[in-house]
Amino acid sequence: MALNTTKNIKWVIAFLVPTILLFLFMYAFSLIILFGSSFTDWTLGMKVSFTGLRNYLELFTDNEDFLKSVFNTVVWIGLQATVHVTIGVTVALILARREFYWKFVRTVYMIPNIISSAALGMMFLCFLNPDFGALNSIIRLAGQKDFSQNWLMDYKTSFFTVTMMWLPFAAVVTILVLAELAAIPESIFESARVDGATELGINLHISLPMLRNIIGTCAILAGTSMLQKLDMILMTTGGGPGNRTMNLPIFIYQNALKDNNFGLANAAGVTLILIGIVTVWIISRAFRMGHSNT
Amino acid sequence: MSTPAQTIDRPRTSPKKAGRISQPGVNPLVSMLKYAFILVILLISVGPFLWVFLSSFKSNLEILNSALALPARLKFSNYVMAFKIAPLAQFYGNSILIAVTGTLLNLTVLGMSGYVIARFEFKGKKTIMSLVSMALLIPGAALLLPLYLTVRNVGLYDNILGLILIYAGFGLPVSLYILSSYFLTIPKELEESAYLDGAGFLRTFLTIILPIAKPGFGTAGVLQFLLCWNEFQFALTLTTGLKNRTLPVALFYFKSQFASDYGAMFAATILVVIPSIIVYVLLQEQVVSGLAAGAVKG
Repeated sequence: MALNTTKNIKWVIAFLVPTILLFLFMYAFSLIILFGSSFTDWTLGMKVSFTGLRNYLELFTDNEDFLKSVFNTVVWIGLQATVHVTIGVTVALILARREFYWKFVRTVYMIPNIISSAALGMMFLCFLNPDFGALNSIIRLAGQKDFSQNWLMDYKTSFFTVTMMWLPFAAVVTILVLAELAAIPESIFESARVDGATELGINLHISLPMLRNIIGTCAILAGTSMLQKLDMILMTTGGGPGNRTMNLPIFIYQNALKDNNFGLANAAGVTLILIGIVTVWIISRAFRMGHSNT
Repeated sequence: MSTPAQTIDRPRTSPKKAGRISQPGVNPLVSMLKYAFILVILLISVGPFLWVFLSSFKSNLEILNSALALPARLKFSNYVMAFKIAPLAQFYGNSILIAVTGTLLNLTVLGMSGYVIARFEFKGKKTIMSLVSMALLIPGAALLLPLYLTVRNVGLYDNILGLILIYAGFGLPVSLYILSSYFLTIPKELEESAYLDGAGFLRTFLTIILPIAKPGFGTAGVLQFLLCWNEFQFALTLTTGLKNRTLPVALFYFKSQFASDYGAMFAATILVVIPSIIVYVLLQEQVVSGLAAGAVKG
């Protein structure tokens, strides 16, 4: 027997209204402003005028920073959905054996993911500092006495360095895969062991296929997280040197709040949402998500 | 398994398989690679943090001369200095106020709708749920400018209330999933007998459901708290001046002020990070189950 809706209709509505209002305020209005103004010429203090697709044309044909931002964003999504997820799954498969250290590793690995990423960026900024940073000091200690590398602001190393600030830290993937592994009945692994399968064989031929859906979910989460990376870049390189480490959030931030070019920034925002939708579509296709394991 | 382990292991296991030893899979080389890998993971996760932590007790001279040495003695002058350079106490107060109220508001609003969605059938329920899943797909950075404009227009710019509202809204999809799926695990019979005893809707919700649903609120609450505490981009764009800033933004704005005093910079970073780590270590299980619950639905 379902609880009676008609009898409690007033309460049902009253309990829904705050959420609906919050949703409208946060998302609905924002999306209308975003899409609408992306077709206009709108700079602070100037009259708004409809210009059709001109913002988009300008971005895609004429704006080097934008194209570099799109390129970097897409590359980072790709790396995050593949390398990052692989690292997280590997850690999970190792920890799933529940050897003595597993809980400790799970906790410590999570630290970079739960602290404020602005603070994490600050830590890396200090850690990688060419003068007093730990990394260069370690390399000098290891023998290269005069070693000095400005990891973040050197054209050659900046992209790689920024990527490494998030690529290895896949604890969320590890936690999700561990939760899923715990749900696989132990008897399946037992019988494989009785048949003489190696741990590696079990991981490759039994665990991984059964984890397909959750790994797909992780790839989506990890990939789309790259659509929001603003704080760490702003704290460390600010998109530089040049536009080497620029991504779409940085581009939007600069155009919207520094140059006050609202129309252009919102056209970039629409592009960002579209990239997200395409990412989700491609990954769920690649992992045949939603289909049950056979 | 990672590919290097796989390529090294392959030629060795196949002949072994034929032997049917009782403990399969314990290849010493694979084990070594495994432990080395875990060790690297531990080092990169905690290395920078530990280094910043230790350096926060050093003098500027020590930091510049011997970056890797331990502090000569444990002194807190850098922390005192950090509070002098930036109004950190003010920012701490703001961060706590915003995180606590943002979490409470989020849990209240979504606890209500989560309950109704889990328990009642009504028109538009499917629409609400699919709109909410759509919201998960929208990156915060895309909303940066629209929300800035909306918040300005309703007069909440540079106002702590504005940030509280935005953060409560940001956690909307995840909290709704976690809470409504928790309500679904509570047996309906409890409410039905309460109704038979003459209790109304509100009393049933407050006295029967809420106490049982505490763990669900705990899980959603921890994630929401961390979101509020750590958020950066909206704290940056929706506030101006010192009065309403939060800790993560303080780091950004005082980066240049701190640049002359490295010790204070390290100390300020540690001050921002410590509360998140404490909350996580104390409430780890909630975080873990919350992440799992949120992801499965998303």
